Amino acid sequence: MLRMLMISLTAASAVISTSLAEENDGLSLPRGFHATVVHEGIGFARQIAIRDNGDLYVATRKPPSAREEDARSGGIVALRDTNADGKPDVVEHFSEVRGTGVQFHDGMLYASTNVAVYRFRFEGGELVPNASPEVVVDGFVQERQHADKTFAFDDENHLYVNVGAPSNSCQQQDRAPESAGQQPCPLLERYGGIWQFDARKSGQTQLADGVRYVTGLRNVVALEWNDEADALYVVMHGRDQLDTLWPKLFSAEDNAITVAEEMHVARRGGDYGWPYTYFDVKRGVRMVGPEYGGNGKTPAERGKYPDPLVAFPAHWAPNDIVFYESSAFPASYRGGAFIAFHGSWNRAPLPQAGYKVVFVPMKDGKPSGDWQVFADRFASDPIKDNSPANAERRPVGLAVAADGSLYITDSVKGRIWRVTYSET
Amino acid sequence: MTRGRLASIRMLALAGFALVCGCTNTPVETVAKIDGEAAYRANCLVCHQADGRGVPFLQPPLVDGPWVLGDPQALAAFVLTGGFNSAERKDSPNENVMPAFTQLDDATLAAVLTYVRARFGKDAGAVTPEVVAQARQTIAR
Repeated sequence: MLRMLMISLTAASAVISTSLAEENDGLSLPRGFHATVVHEGIGFARQIAIRDNGDLYVATRKPPSAREEDARSGGIVALRDTNADGKPDVVEHFSEVRGTGVQFHDGMLYASTNVAVYRFRFEGGELVPNASPEVVVDGFVQERQHADKTFAFDDENHLYVNVGAPSNSCQQQDRAPESAGQQPCPLLERYGGIWQFDARKSGQTQLADGVRYVTGLRNVVALEWNDEADALYVVMHGRDQLDTLWPKLFSAEDNAITVAEEMHVARRGGDYGWPYTYFDVKRGVRMVGPEYGGNGKTPAERGKYPDPLVAFPAHWAPNDIVFYESSAFPASYRGGAFIAFHGSWNRAPLPQAGYKVVFVPMKDGKPSGDWQVFADRFASDPIKDNSPANAERRPVGLAVAADGSLYITDSVKGRIWRVTYSET
Repeated sequence: MTRGRLASIRMLALAGFALVCGCTNTPVETVAKIDGEAAYRANCLVCHQADGRGVPFLQPPLVDGPWVLGDPQALAAFVLTGGFNSAERKDSPNENVMPAFTQLDDATLAAVLTYVRARFGKDAGAVTPEVVAQARQTIAR
């Protein structure tokens, strides 16, 4: 039954997206919703946080070029609307802290690099915090692959940090054709899970203070605490390259559509099956990975690892999740989850997909209906030359403001949208 | 890269995809039987993409890249050793590292690199199997 439900969930998107209405700048949204570009050009925008007073804070990545002006510009962008026209008119770049994660907790701004989580204190209503940030946690190993230390908080002052695995599938040689999987995977000691810390303490390290809260998660850039369910929710980047690594077992089409991006409740002590397994979207079954003896038709031991709450299409790249607790949108949105997908690269040579924001209706912490595309047309479809470098915009970060509007960031043009709803 | 030249590379494809994908270690009689574009599709495209522009922050573009435009033997040696120990790795903005493509035989790798240089490297010259063999010897030492 659960399996059938999941298959129906994954089949939902195409039908519902046809009812989206086009917006001024080419985005499409369900009828009644409206997206306003409130700002653009802030660089390689990642996740976004909103202060109680409405100020916006966006994490940005280091530009690929080493141009002096880029290096000067600062890693966090603060934006304030001083004349109440809905568009920020004061924009400040500050701090050397560059990365993807940014969140408010207990009145302080937390932001992360690839190796540490920092926090900035405010004296009062200033836009840019004056003092240097405190180190909340450091000592994460410097890595490149899946290195974003995105994070979330519960309401008991715990900090949860995603420590992505610097690997695709824990092969002896990462991403080398037919290289066997390491058994057990040694990376799981320091990576491939979520580590829990004390959100109030400074100067913690992963080894001395971190508790491995859950394991078997390849990389969960999107994680968020859900108050209603009193639990942590994650959306995982599933494994890549079934066909290029195992050409005798998988076709390019198999690779493009098989491996789910899995949404889970991350419960203390849980193991979600990476790198030994993956969840097959088509079959609705967890499978043994080819690095561990699977041949594409080998189901994993039943019940050993949880099935996902939702199995999203392969390679869409979930990069943020927020739960919608406001009443500004229609009642059906209350308690549900918005998820930003950055869009695929690993579907090539088949058509790229997933440059979208989706919505999962939820009740009591469980999906209560089919997921649906919420915001679309960030990139043209098909993308020119099927190349992610040609995507016009790619959604990354999400945040809900006090007035119930939804903010979305874009990593290509550094654009920020504010999405509102009106019945008329 | 002219269309005529691309077409002439394609016309060299006598043995084609199966030879490249299924049995890359099988010796081939001559370089003329290897389809460089098919070998690129099978080995390189998923990361560097069909247009050679890579994926921002994940895999670098090949188009007019320094390795692609540079010395053919150095290029072959780089692909045979992969990026894990390369000098560029430290300052690269890209997340992913190229594995070592030692499984490609000299003729196949020569065909791939010839295709890459013709298509993405301002018509940089062909790479011969002999140059790849020399590169393989230098990295073996």
